[in-house]
Amino acid sequence: MSFLGYVRPDGSAGTRNYVLVIPQGIIAKSICDFVAGTKTILTVDHGSGRTANDREQIARVLIGLGKNPNVASVLVHAASPGVGYPELRAERLADEIAASGKRVEVLDPAKDGGTYGAIVRGLQLARNMVYEASKARRVEVGDEQLCVGVKCGYSDTTSGIAGNPAVGYLYDRIVAAGGTALFGETTEIIGAEQALARRAVSPAVAETILGAVTIQEERAKATGLDIRTVNPVPSNIKGGISSLEEKSLGAIHKAGTAPIEGVLRYAERPTRNGLYFVDNWMGHLSIFAGYVAAGANVVMFQLGGGGVAGRTLLEGSPSVVAPFLWCTANPKTYAAAQDSIDFYSGTVIEGSETPEEAGERLYRTVIETASGTLARSETLSYTEPIDMYLQEPRF
Amino acid sequence: MSSKRALIMHASDNVATAVEEIQTGEDVAVPAGGAVLTLRAIEPIPFGFKIALQDLPRGEIIRKYGETIGKASAPIAKGALVHIHNLEGTRARGDLERGSER
Repeated sequence: MSFLGYVRPDGSAGTRNYVLVIPQGIIAKSICDFVAGTKTILTVDHGSGRTANDREQIARVLIGLGKNPNVASVLVHAASPGVGYPELRAERLADEIAASGKRVEVLDPAKDGGTYGAIVRGLQLARNMVYEASKARRVEVGDEQLCVGVKCGYSDTTSGIAGNPAVGYLYDRIVAAGGTALFGETTEIIGAEQALARRAVSPAVAETILGAVTIQEERAKATGLDIRTVNPVPSNIKGGISSLEEKSLGAIHKAGTAPIEGVLRYAERPTRNGLYFVDNWMGHLSIFAGYVAAGANVVMFQLGGGGVAGRTLLEGSPSVVAPFLWCTANPKTYAAAQDSIDFYSGTVIEGSETPEEAGERLYRTVIETASGTLARSETLSYTEPIDMYLQEPRF
Repeated sequence: MSSKRALIMHASDNVATAVEEIQTGEDVAVPAGGAVLTLRAIEPIPFGFKIALQDLPRGEIIRKYGETIGKASAPIAKGALVHIHNLEGTRARGDLERGSER
């Protein structure tokens, strides 16, 4: 199979065609408010007062978003609080993005007549860049150009028995076609790590998976708390999940059955295609930006929702430049928020579809979305802030 | 009266997940390979919650997906609801690290 994508100079293919303005701040926001077809990132994680490791992590997010195939060209400004650090210099960000062959322009208030001057120059540049980007045409590309990322959330028992298995089928299909699929949430593989380690392509990868779990479990134990007072979260427990292990064993179904090629850090780009475990945190405002910075061009949230009443609108734009799909297998969640939901697999519980049939339908939904059909969340202009996964203390 | 449905995820599971609202005294059918296990619910089992397929003594390992999801923190009778009141996870238990094991 194939989808209609925008082919970029580095050979990757986008499912969208945005001009990205980074980092966060008034210059970026002003340009995006004024110029159609632009995107920026909303976040408080600007790097000032952060350690070198965390600053590099922020740089990886920004560079990765810029290199994402859903971005046609990039404007980088030099007016963020963290810009004085070597990792976050505007020229460094711009050079690394430009290595992918796409157009990158730099705005610098010190050279462009101050903040007002940089905004005006940015508006003019952005209008031109959006116009130039519009000349790109979608062409047929193979499924090996798909890179997907998933998280499951508000999980209930429908997640493990019908929602995640449909995603797992999709993952197997994309990996078999030579594409790339990312899953993660280290806390939510505690109790299921042996099952994953058995699927690693090498003993070294298996050890990295087990090592990531050991570190996370030790952190959890160091709090002195029963993990169940934190995770499973209250909505999981209300939805019928009784332990972290049960949640984990249901959660890993979304990763399908393919061999695990490697373990990636947050926002780290895979060096080859295949299925990857990402050592990240489950928060949706954190995880999706990381997947997209790693190259994901479609992402999805597999929602349980059994423990949440009255949620009739599902907002969501945590993926900056990638379409974001809402999926659920819970009939009540679906009934409550039908016009927000892109894919429903409660049919598996109702007995009208097998997990494979539902997964095949999800695959077609992803192909249509990749080819230009809007994700329901893309019909909202609501923008959510990104919470980058930074783990070191601030000073 | 037709029985209510619950699902196991693996042949070695000792709990099944209700995919309908089950009331006290109702018969529950659990497809297992080619056969169907039947049992009676001894209390309400809400949609998405688990029912014990056999008597589970305190400390018994509870299995779903063919894997361990915790152990029985109290004796559990066949047909009873299995949830946080009688199942406890055994992983990442910082509270147990401090010697408060019950």
